[in-house]
Amino acid sequence: MTSLTRNPGAEPEPALEPEPGPERSRLLEPAAEAERESIDAEFVPAGTRGYRRVNEWLTPAGLGAGISRGLRGLFGRRAPIVDRIAIVIVLALVVVAIIGPFIAPYDPYLAQPVDALLPPSAAHWMGTDDAGRDVLSRLLTGAGTTLLAAIAVVVLTTVIGVVVASIAALSPRAVDTVIMRVCDIAMALPAMVLALGIAAALGPSLGSVVVAMVIAMWPGTTRLVRGILRVTMSSAYVESARVTGVSKAGLLARHVLPNSMDSVYVQASMEISGAIVLMAGLAYLGVGAPPPSADWGAMVAQGREYITTAWWVTTFPGLAITIAAIAFGLLGDAIRVRLDPSLRRR
Amino acid sequence: MAIYVAKRVGLAILSVWGIITIVFFLTKLIPGDAARVAAGRTATADQIAQARERLGLDKPVLEQYADFLARAVRGDLGQSASTHQNVVTDLSQTVPVTLQLVLVAMLFTIVIAVPLGTLAAALRDKAPDVAARILFVLSGGVPVFWLAILLQWLFASNLGWFPISGSNAFGAAPPDVTGFTLVDSAIAGDPAAFADSFEHLVLPALALSAPFLSTVARNVRSNLIGALDTDYVAFAVSKGAKPFRVVVHHGLRSTFGSTLTIIGMQLGWMMGAALLVETVFALPGIGVYLNQAVLNQDTFAVLGCVLVIGVVFTVASLVVDLIQIGTDPRVRASYTTGATA
Repeated sequence: MTSLTRNPGAEPEPALEPEPGPERSRLLEPAAEAERESIDAEFVPAGTRGYRRVNEWLTPAGLGAGISRGLRGLFGRRAPIVDRIAIVIVLALVVVAIIGPFIAPYDPYLAQPVDALLPPSAAHWMGTDDAGRDVLSRLLTGAGTTLLAAIAVVVLTTVIGVVVASIAALSPRAVDTVIMRVCDIAMALPAMVLALGIAAALGPSLGSVVVAMVIAMWPGTTRLVRGILRVTMSSAYVESARVTGVSKAGLLARHVLPNSMDSVYVQASMEISGAIVLMAGLAYLGVGAPPPSADWGAMVAQGREYITTAWWVTTFPGLAITIAAIAFGLLGDAIRVRLDPSLRRR
Repeated sequence: MAIYVAKRVGLAILSVWGIITIVFFLTKLIPGDAARVAAGRTATADQIAQARERLGLDKPVLEQYADFLARAVRGDLGQSASTHQNVVTDLSQTVPVTLQLVLVAMLFTIVIAVPLGTLAAALRDKAPDVAARILFVLSGGVPVFWLAILLQWLFASNLGWFPISGSNAFGAAPPDVTGFTLVDSAIAGDPAAFADSFEHLVLPALALSAPFLSTVARNVRSNLIGALDTDYVAFAVSKGAKPFRVVVHHGLRSTFGSTLTIIGMQLGWMMGAALLVETVFALPGIGVYLNQAVLNQDTFAVLGCVLVIGVVFTVASLVVDLIQIGTDPRVRASYTTGATA
């Protein structure tokens, strides 16, 4: 990890760069960026430039470039083996989520009581559940909804978190304090409890679980983002931009937010694993997608009563949740370490 | 100094009021007719109207809110629509079960996480560190309820090392004084009942501690690594202090504050996660009660549970802050010089 040959002289420190004033033509920027990109790709090892190269991450194209750069770094020869395993699992999960329903060997919803609770065999790799449905087929079919819902929750909470935290950062100190205090208070309630109450009231559907989780999770995200913004705001280049007379809103939009987004993305990728586990817990309590659906958490709940006679019904879905949660957690960790060279020693 | 403590206590009370307010209006915002649920499935329009009046649901929302607060201050949280008991009575039976589980789980968390995190930091990048980190990752990702089911299946059903479910074996329960079975059996001077109560707690507490253990251990590890890099540790080493003394006395001590803060917040969150564990091990705690209350739209019961969980969280973070003011001169200085750190 420490053997990466860094190239600190490849780019000037942002603090020393003249801040682009509002009068500077925006048309020039993409070309300049592209030029820098090509130079960088030649001379700087992938993944070592995190904090200096995040401006483009805000645009979709830039986000794509950032991700591919990150992937190159994670797949590179010097990437730690754990990171590589994590990214392979995450990619495999994404693939399964997309093609899962098509490669499922059996109908995941068709009950066949004759085949109930068959142990794992060549015909049913993960056995069958109490209704005679193939566990593997149900897992493959449920992957899409489980992952998509978890990612939707994280995207929504992150967007809300960034917007509210930005509003707080722009507001007078008193308003800022009130917003953060409300978040503190909301965080005193476990997300599990809040989400359970809201999801139950909204009725059993995947949509209500997503809404409930977003309501339960945004205060935590907002607090984290506010913290990230505060750290960025205290950097020297933001201070120098302020001195040159950039307005508060301009400061936030042009300097603080772009330079904070990498930390926000890292936070979001870590939260996916928390969202998967929380959603599984809610499904386990019975407030997830309604019964025939192949939600992983609901599958664990459904297999629970048969654990003594048919361990496979509950074990495999639980294992799937665990693997997904761990893989996303490790991925977030890997990206974080990659973006912040100071963490590499640890 | 006393002023800061008073301020902090005032803030804690304000937080609890805030929680109650948020949740009260959430229960009013969400769809569903609590009166219909309370009156039962076969209720006539008349009976529903009666239930509505009995629960005070016919009054304006703000008046309901004022009523609820006024009664809550006097220790009356209303009547549960499903158990038909006062919510306070219900809570006095269920809260000790959960609180005992959470405290034992927290004990497990500290006993496992702090030494492991210390070991990992002291032997950084060596085999024990790698093994410990794999364990942290695993325990951080595993869903609590699934772990609980597996532990129950393996250690209770198959191996028979621990009882499968419940708080006590039949006939072994100590006389109910506090509701905490461990405390009750100690009061009764009954070692057999104490052992029985503890055996019933091991698996649930272990399952509950898993995700929290991971956070605490990682925190100890990264903070300790930072502390071991400092000049004062280098000085202690050059003075010839023994490695154990360097790590524990010089290093670990400085991580105390942040570990304590995390543990304080986790105590409240554990009350939420306890819900899943209680369901698996059939413990009659607040989690199972809350789950029922939510599914029955039992507003007063939900509010009561939320109040308890909020109070636990708030009190835990209050205690943590007070301990830090008491033990950490840096924190104390930041309070007494007027600057809020």
